[in-house]
Amino acid sequence: MNQETMKISGMTCAACAQRIQKVVGKLDGVANASVNIATEKLSVEYDTQKVSSADIKQAVVKIGYGVIEEAEAKEVTIPIGGMTCAACAQRIEKVLNKQDGVSKASVNLATEKATISYDPQKIKISALKQSIEKIGYKALEIEKKGAVDEDKIRKEKEIRTLWRKFTISAIFGTPLLYLAMGSMVWWLPFPIPKALNAMQFPLVYALVQILLTIPVIIAGYRFYTVGFKALIQRSPNMDSLIAIGTSAAIIYSLYSTYQIATGNFHAVEGLYFETAGVIITLILLGKSLEAVSKGKTSEAIKKLMGLAPKTAIVIQDGKEVETPIDEVEIGDVILVKPGEKIPVDGVVLEGNTTIDESMLTGESMPIDKKSGDQVYAASINKNGIIRFEAKKVGGDTALAQIIKLVEDAQSSKAPIAQMADIVSGYFVPIVCLIAVIAFAAWLISGQSLVFALTIFISVLVIACPCALGLATPTAIMVGTGKGAEHGILIKGGEALETAHKINTIVFDKTGTITEGKPEVTDITATSQTSKERLLQIAASGEKGSEHPLGEAIVRKAEKDQIEFLAVDQFEAIPGHGIEVTIDGVHTLIGNRKLMVERNISLEELEKESDRLAAEGKTPMYVAMDNQLSGIIAVADVVKQSSAKAIKKLQEMGIEVAMITGDNKKTAEAIAKQVGIDRVLAEVLPQDKANEVKKLQSEGKKVSMVGDGINDAPALVQADIGIAIGSGTDVAMESADIVLMRSDLMDVPTAIHLSKSTIRNIKQNLGWAFGYNIAGIPIAAGVLYLFGGPLLNPIFAAAAMSLSSVSVLTNALRLKRFKPYQSKNG
Amino acid sequence: MKKIVLGIMAMATVVTLTSCRQLDVVGKTSASSFKQILDAVPSQVAADESENGWSLTAPDGSAKFIWSKDFNKSPIYDVMLEVDLKPFTNAGADVNKLPGGMVKDNKIVVGTSLGNESLSYDGEVTPIKSYEKIVEMKRDSVKYHAALDHFGVDLENGNMFEWAKDMGHNDKDIVFVLNPKVFIDAGVDPNKVEGWVFAKVETMDAKGKPIKVDKLLKPFNIK
Repeated sequence: MNQETMKISGMTCAACAQRIQKVVGKLDGVANASVNIATEKLSVEYDTQKVSSADIKQAVVKIGYGVIEEAEAKEVTIPIGGMTCAACAQRIEKVLNKQDGVSKASVNLATEKATISYDPQKIKISALKQSIEKIGYKALEIEKKGAVDEDKIRKEKEIRTLWRKFTISAIFGTPLLYLAMGSMVWWLPFPIPKALNAMQFPLVYALVQILLTIPVIIAGYRFYTVGFKALIQRSPNMDSLIAIGTSAAIIYSLYSTYQIATGNFHAVEGLYFETAGVIITLILLGKSLEAVSKGKTSEAIKKLMGLAPKTAIVIQDGKEVETPIDEVEIGDVILVKPGEKIPVDGVVLEGNTTIDESMLTGESMPIDKKSGDQVYAASINKNGIIRFEAKKVGGDTALAQIIKLVEDAQSSKAPIAQMADIVSGYFVPIVCLIAVIAFAAWLISGQSLVFALTIFISVLVIACPCALGLATPTAIMVGTGKGAEHGILIKGGEALETAHKINTIVFDKTGTITEGKPEVTDITATSQTSKERLLQIAASGEKGSEHPLGEAIVRKAEKDQIEFLAVDQFEAIPGHGIEVTIDGVHTLIGNRKLMVERNISLEELEKESDRLAAEGKTPMYVAMDNQLSGIIAVADVVKQSSAKAIKKLQEMGIEVAMITGDNKKTAEAIAKQVGIDRVLAEVLPQDKANEVKKLQSEGKKVSMVGDGINDAPALVQADIGIAIGSGTDVAMESADIVLMRSDLMDVPTAIHLSKSTIRNIKQNLGWAFGYNIAGIPIAAGVLYLFGGPLLNPIFAAAAMSLSSVSVLTNALRLKRFKPYQSKNG
Repeated sequence: MKKIVLGIMAMATVVTLTSCRQLDVVGKTSASSFKQILDAVPSQVAADESENGWSLTAPDGSAKFIWSKDFNKSPIYDVMLEVDLKPFTNAGADVNKLPGGMVKDNKIVVGTSLGNESLSYDGEVTPIKSYEKIVEMKRDSVKYHAALDHFGVDLENGNMFEWAKDMGHNDKDIVFVLNPKVFIDAGVDPNKVEGWVFAKVETMDAKGKPIKVDKLLKPFNIK
């Protein structure tokens, strides 16, 4: 199965998305097709043996939409110096075209530029430049359009086109409306010229209206081409509704014009050109505002994309060479001066500095960096000069990964969107049916054709599938984008939706509630050995350990300058400790469980153990040759924000539990410090997931917050797994939400964001459904039936345009979302 | 630039349309329907030598609509109504209080001068050709009254002569219309003017605002 995402153009409403989804989904070999109207992307999973990407694109194009090629081949423009004639250009062109990986190269002598389409997997820009320089010309610094710019340019062009179309339709639509409403606007200071008086010169009046309508129709021609095409293919969409509604108005008006020409002057009352013209103008206005608002919903990702610097100073042969970011390769040594951005991910080789990583993590405090520390693309070097080695470039940098994660999340659909999807699939045909029924019913009831036609047009025009389609994805886009801004990466719409239902949160202790860097606090030896010997044996055994408790013992030994002994045998016992042989001494280092299982008597140090545990310290037992030799107590520091975050969660009505492999007493001591009542202690790593499952079996929606590899199964088992950013890659991959910072206040913030987003989605859906449920009957004349007013199609069009804009505006309100602050919030 | 050209073209087209006589369906139809009226009562249509025009007399002889053959030669008005004075004096009119020149030989005369142009005709001068000259040269004086489906000649000061666009579908084939104000000012009780109906008529003011005005009407079904 192959998974591909295609950028789709030409969609105007949820019905379009449904249609593409349906058509692509029906193709033989397509397992799954999903279209997101907000991101304008089709995600398709297909069997390459049965169907090709080209077949899918063809199917999309066939039903009237476009597939924007996001070419695998990149395009680059290299300015060239030294060309004197057309022959030079031809020569360079020939050489470039011969390069493996170049699909097309053309050189323009006038602009002195080479435009090259190339496969970055096969050839690098530096090689292209070299090939130009090799034949005697100078390859200057490249001009490259990034994907961001292309997307931005495309969106800006779309907005400009829509505004231009709206302007044209407004220029002609306004006098059209003024002319048509002449008898109603007598109080305005601009009288309608006598020569255009409807009663005295009805034919001229009608013909001038036709003239004014034509440019408006041309501006809105897309509604007709797409709308009728969709109608013919029996998949009507929003365009179809507008096309049918306005066409009905125009055709009837043309008939009225004919009537006027033949002497029936009363037919002047049957002119509805202004209805069609103003409907198109208002819809174009709505679409323009919608395009602007839609652009704003993805501002967060654009902001992220804009963070990366364009160049890097690479040290080549001892010289500083300013190199375009795309030409930086792994292993390059990069110099970063104070105030500059880190161009790619890497490891510091030389120098000390502090780096502001707030744009990636949301953490406002700059972080000290020295040799061996990692640095990340887009973070800002504050005060020192550093040289670092590039480790991850291009799409592999943390920034690129975050962008991808956010993009994927924004493209994903929340379960709540399914209802809107189902409704919008049937929406347009049902609206058409209602319009026809209402038209026929009023006609049969004895109303005039003009009256019934007004009803017909109003029903078609007021129905708004766009609002339905935009309700969910726009809120998700803004919500996930806002999360990313604050270092909360939500991996998809489903995660965002589920997070708001969470009523129980289980925190891993070490590294999550605590700093995860425990220190040795107490060493108690039995009469058989000394404290130094105990520490030497334990530290030697734990040398190389990745367990935070083991690391603490090793650090202590290093600090006390204790010599490490060679380890003959080593075995890790997950959740218990280690079993080693050092200097021929069989040694067990681990928790109480390990000792109990190996029948080691703890009696001698029982009281000491209880005391340490009561103080929240973790006693690590050391047994040599099956005899208890002592206890090394290790204590971890509780994070500053933990207690506040937990209090906040409890205030939100969420039950908080702590899970740990530590002994019960230590766990309870830590829990007490941070205000947690429910403690799941002495839980083996493999059992963490079971504990989560147990809570779920109690009917709870459980979130697990953790950072280690051992937390991964529990993160997967939980309804929402939240990984702390300082944790392991495995944890982050297993989680639904990743917190870039280690600040636990981001947990209530993530849930608060989820609640706000879901509330926003519900408001949007409520508005979209409510609008259609109320609007369609009013347009169908239900109020008129009970003596109320009849809805003018122009007001119907205005309401329709406003509905989409209001949904988008409501979604944009999420941009004002404020995270909880660990310091003063 | 494109937009300016487009705008100029649109304006030019609108001007062309508004000045195209072929598109004046009201003017053209008013002439054909007026001809139908004249053809329906040929005995009541005559040349009015004293006014150098043509007259259409009401079936009861109590009123006349007179229109000029040549605007340059009309002694008083180019279009006018001539109605019996007696019903007005019977209803209380003080003749001395009526505007000067309005009463002439026991007749009330209201009308307007359309211009001073000399009219030239192709062929014989006929009543309908003279009317067509009004349509052609003084189109603003020809009105369409949608509420009654009537055409009319505006005699100014609220006075009109109207006729049915389609006699077959109208019971008021011709209507003499007077503004009652001057008569009321002269002491007339408008409800007591014999042979005239005092009524409110729906019309539009100069700005196009729909209004209802008082009128004295003398309608005839001439079929």
